[in-house]
Amino acid sequence: METASAKKTTKKDHRKAILEGYKNHVLEYGSAPKSVFKFAKDLKMKEEEFYTYFTSFDSIKSAIWVEIFDETILQAESQEIFKEYSAREKFLSFLFTWIEELKKNRSYLLSLYESKSKTSMTLPKEAAEFKDKFKDFANEIILEGKETEEIASRPIISDRYDEALWFQTWFVFRYWLDDRSPRFEKTDAAIEKSVNLAFDLMGKSALDSFLDFAKFLYQSK
Amino acid sequence: MPEKLKEQGAIPITKVQRAAKFISAGAKVGGNYMKHYAKKMVNPSMDKEELHLNNATDIYKSLSELKGSALKIAQMMSMDKNLLPRAYQDKFTMAQYSAPPLSYPLVVKTFQKYFGKTPEQMFDTFTRIAVNAASIGQVHKATQNGKELAVKIQYPGVADSVSSDLKLVRPFALRLLNMNERELDHYMGEVEEKLLEETDYILEVQRSREISEECGHIPNLKFPKYYNELSSERIITMDWIEGKHIKEWMDTNPTQKAKNKIGQALWDFYHHQVHHLKQVHADPHPGNFIVQDGDQLGIIDFGCVKVIPEDFYQGYFALIKKELLINEDELNQIFYDLEFISDKDTEIEKAYFKGVFKEMISLLGKPFHVDKFDFADNQFFEQIFQLGDRIANDKMFRKSRQARGSRHGLYVNRTYFGIYNLLNQLQAEVDTTKPDWLQ
Repeated sequence: METASAKKTTKKDHRKAILEGYKNHVLEYGSAPKSVFKFAKDLKMKEEEFYTYFTSFDSIKSAIWVEIFDETILQAESQEIFKEYSAREKFLSFLFTWIEELKKNRSYLLSLYESKSKTSMTLPKEAAEFKDKFKDFANEIILEGKETEEIASRPIISDRYDEALWFQTWFVFRYWLDDRSPRFEKTDAAIEKSVNLAFDLMGKSALDSFLDFAKFLYQSK
Repeated sequence: MPEKLKEQGAIPITKVQRAAKFISAGAKVGGNYMKHYAKKMVNPSMDKEELHLNNATDIYKSLSELKGSALKIAQMMSMDKNLLPRAYQDKFTMAQYSAPPLSYPLVVKTFQKYFGKTPEQMFDTFTRIAVNAASIGQVHKATQNGKELAVKIQYPGVADSVSSDLKLVRPFALRLLNMNERELDHYMGEVEEKLLEETDYILEVQRSREISEECGHIPNLKFPKYYNELSSERIITMDWIEGKHIKEWMDTNPTQKAKNKIGQALWDFYHHQVHHLKQVHADPHPGNFIVQDGDQLGIIDFGCVKVIPEDFYQGYFALIKKELLINEDELNQIFYDLEFISDKDTEIEKAYFKGVFKEMISLLGKPFHVDKFDFADNQFFEQIFQLGDRIANDKMFRKSRQARGSRHGLYVNRTYFGIYNLLNQLQAEVDTTKPDWLQ
């Protein structure tokens, strides 16, 4: 593997080499390495050196998710127009960019997650850190949406909006894993339509007016 | 710029949801029939117009939420005015102008996919909001080096959903068009092929260039220039054609001379395509034409082009010969060739359908039987509608299990109905030129 010069390189590159090495292993053998010892040896690295960066294979997988997320945010925010987007558009832009980043790692993700995609919507434990970071991002968007009144503040429910967006993001991931359309066009359509639905549901609607009215009638009785 | 197009809320995602959408429309239509008959018991004089209006509203609502090819079909049905009761027409005509737009991030994404650049990087200016909606895409206005451009972007996944949408529409087409299943399948293949072609933007650019070059010599026509380097499978960039849609233009009270001029340009455009190029812009709905200052007719959108096979051409246009209506033997032969009647028909059916088609042809061929025809003549259109209604409600016609007419006729007929309707809308009187061999 491409880590012959690992010794001379800096700390950062070591970390990178481990991430890359892990991905390559999954790609070539279709599964995680047998042991940290064997894996470190293949990378011409001592086992204890490995532990200065990661504690287990799960923490590598987790780091890969986070890396993809960070890159997505970087890419999305590098578009000048991103600042001008409404909350809905920001979230759309995030998902479209995210899918592009996932695409770069499609084979890796498929070999890890495809078999499970049909049976469960449950979250693999290595995606937990990504989820936390995502929720921070989602909450920023939601806050902004509330300020611009794009998103309605509702008691109790609106505290769970970040969960809803996360659920949706995971749905998009599952959809994309199974997508066989050229250039993943169907995933694009799925993102567009599901985000519109989500934001329409979160936005002010007839239901709010109805609840308000019902409350009024009840209180003024 | 027109006001911001209203963004639509939830769009059904999966096939199942789309099917559900159609089913709910079906249920509503069923409900409307119930209502109709209930009302009719109380008030026997009530006519079917109200029922049709209720049905049209519900069906249109379902179709417009589906976007894509279903919307296209709504358009097609609104074209064939003579096939549909009047109340459906107005509702469906709406489909020609409005569909909910794509979000801007998706527009950006589409550009990045095909050019590796954002719209801002490619153009000097680019509107964030679509200025116009097309049936399977939307149009943004852009500028580059001082030139105004129209950029058409296709909705993702449309090409994929054509076939499944057609399957979903089938039961409705059966009901609305009063066709039986066999008859419908006879034409569905043709429709599917054309719809798939429309999603191929590379083909569209190529055809637009060909036809606009071939028709460049016709006076008072205006074609946009197409830019290959700014177009791809899902994006077409062309010159912006400034002007008014026919309806808006008519509201400005143009002179009769101007109306005739535009009408004549339209006629000449189709005459040249049909008789010389043998391929025709088969989508003459009002949204594809723009009247410019100085009474020039701008033509946009070559998504739907029908190539007319030679043998079909000969038979079909031989029908417009006036003396043919007198020469029984020759007429019968053409009816056989065009699959209007076949050996599977009984003698009674043969006689009946010959009569029906003869009547249709003598009516629809009327503009060709004279040198100049006034399309402002509403009575002529009234007659066509009446004939259409009468035939559609005739038991003999509905009972027939045969598909009638060659599949090629579908788009050629549609084209001519479209032209007639446009000319009627224009209130124009035109020289109805004929090819030399029919003089």
